[in-house]
Amino acid sequence: MSSWRRSAAYRIAFIYSAAFALAVLALGAAVYFAADAAFRHQQDAALSDETAELVGDFRNEGMGELVETIDARERGAAIAAFGYAVFDADGRRVAGRLDIARPPDGYREVMVRRGGERDPARALTTALDSRTTLTVAVDSEGLERIDATILMLFGGGFVAIVAIGIAGSFALGAYLRRRLASFTVTAHQIVGGELDQRMPVGVRNDEFDALARSLNAMLDRIALLVERLRQVSGDLAHDMRTPLSRLRAGLERALDGPPDLTVQRQALKQAIRQSDAMLALFAGILRIAEVERGDIARGFVAVDLADVVADLCDSYAPAIRDGGRTLTCTAIPGPAEVMGNRELLAQAIVNLLDNAQTHTPRGTAITLALTLDAARVMVRVADDGPGVAAADRARIVERFVRLEASRHTPGHGLGLNLVDAIVAAHRGTLDIEDNAPGLAITMTFTAVTA
Amino acid sequence: MNVLIAEDDDDTAAFVERGLAEGGAQVMRVADGESALHEATANRYDCIVLDRLLPGIDGIEVLRRCRAAGVRTPVLMLTALGGIGDRVTGLEAGADDYLPKPFAFAELAARVAALLRRPPIQDNPTTFTVGDVTLDLLAREVRRAGREVRLQPREFAVLEQLMRHAGRVVTRTMLLENIWGFHFDPQTNIVESHLSRMRSKLNQGFDVDPIETLRGIGYRIRA
Repeated sequence: MSSWRRSAAYRIAFIYSAAFALAVLALGAAVYFAADAAFRHQQDAALSDETAELVGDFRNEGMGELVETIDARERGAAIAAFGYAVFDADGRRVAGRLDIARPPDGYREVMVRRGGERDPARALTTALDSRTTLTVAVDSEGLERIDATILMLFGGGFVAIVAIGIAGSFALGAYLRRRLASFTVTAHQIVGGELDQRMPVGVRNDEFDALARSLNAMLDRIALLVERLRQVSGDLAHDMRTPLSRLRAGLERALDGPPDLTVQRQALKQAIRQSDAMLALFAGILRIAEVERGDIARGFVAVDLADVVADLCDSYAPAIRDGGRTLTCTAIPGPAEVMGNRELLAQAIVNLLDNAQTHTPRGTAITLALTLDAARVMVRVADDGPGVAAADRARIVERFVRLEASRHTPGHGLGLNLVDAIVAAHRGTLDIEDNAPGLAITMTFTAVTA
Repeated sequence: MNVLIAEDDDDTAAFVERGLAEGGAQVMRVADGESALHEATANRYDCIVLDRLLPGIDGIEVLRRCRAAGVRTPVLMLTALGGIGDRVTGLEAGADDYLPKPFAFAELAARVAALLRRPPIQDNPTTFTVGDVTLDLLAREVRRAGREVRLQPREFAVLEQLMRHAGRVVTRTMLLENIWGFHFDPQTNIVESHLSRMRSKLNQGFDVDPIETLRGIGYRIRA
């Protein structure tokens, strides 16, 4: 009882049918009063016409003719439309069969005796001369029958509508509640830990199905984030434990060893270096987590990648030359705008350039090229170094994946993973291909079209 | 010089206080938002080191209220939140610089010194002279002892940063932030690369190198 009283579905359905019933009621009342008024008006007009004719007879040809006319009409009509009575000065009926006491002048509702029954009628009483009056009456039973019929029709309609409305309310309310209940049940299951449960999607493709699909997309996204978080904490626990143990061991050795200031200072410096490395790893993981969260997209603006690439070329060409490799840039003159975060886009390119140096021998030629077509902007970083085996190419974007060949180069295996996250946050694609020889990585973004 | 430190973590506060005091600063330490706001508005400081997450009124709000009250003291905001959005919020609230934790003390000291030396906005010099080196921002020209030194744009920017803070340390991360807009640490030594090129061009034909390298920290041009 209280559950459906609090139900929005029932409340809406009830209010809707109540409003509909009220509208029917108002319509019925309007029809009833309008029909009644029109009929009465017509009745009065007929009485007035008939009276005028009889008064004319009386005026032109006298009482005898009037009585004759009345008599003829009362006998002639199969169903007497009108009843007539002529009263003298004392109120006695001197002509006509209308069995009533003399009414006052003007329109009146009267009761007519007819064979023991008393019927309601409408009467118009007019003075013929100073002594006699004429009363013409018409049966108002017809009017009352019409009124009653209208009332009955609309009353019946009203009752039917209320009944249909109540039934419909229950049916609609139950339907809505059933559709919503499936969501509630699933939500409770998810709260209860069954994270892989999804909202049931029907075949009708209605708004409930659309809602279910949106909720499922949301749940998928949340599940992905939860999974990533779980992965990050797992990775952290794994990747931090080894350097932390090493740090602790180094400090312990320094403390247990001879109190030699030089040795201890050396150990402290080593400890700071190790903590810095861990902090860098930590910062890298947090950065990736931040990019993957996706809310950075809210701050995206139009970024000219041509400008970013030109900037990086200027900065990296000398540094790469210092490292014994070369950087050649292919730029384009015009703007190549994408929606994004300038610093993150720069960082993605920087990471690719860093990788192209760390994992290649001296003398490697590195190229950075920007190309664009009508809808896309592509940034390609390629080298002619040893490349990556086809089997490993898909794997190297994963977090903490370091190939055997790079076991002894610095890094945490986060660089490409961050590139991947940045590209994904910008709704771009990342392609890793063989450059024969070497490796080519292309980031493709949707261009901002004017 | 008077520095206000608003930091609720005792270890960090003591570490910063000791370092700055050794550098000759008068340090006032507070550990919550209300005291920070009171100190910053009631007394004159040359610099405020403000933690972003303070008990009571948080750092961002302290900063907003200070700025609203007309306090223009340079503020270095410290934070455990190094995210892109966090930095923007901090700078929008009126911070002059933003340093994520953990940090090396040398980094903090260099940034505090840079804030203290920040010239008032109304007089923005366009030429800098340090020793026999002059740098003209409008002509994009560097001269040493009257002789022109031709520098690439990035090399020019590096020298400009050093000369703006002549006699003070400019850290590697400050250069990365101010010149490249990078708030991350690239593996490739672009700073070193540009600095060494700039330095060799500047020193060509001269015996004295006006630029000092502070290993692991940054660079300083001798005033």
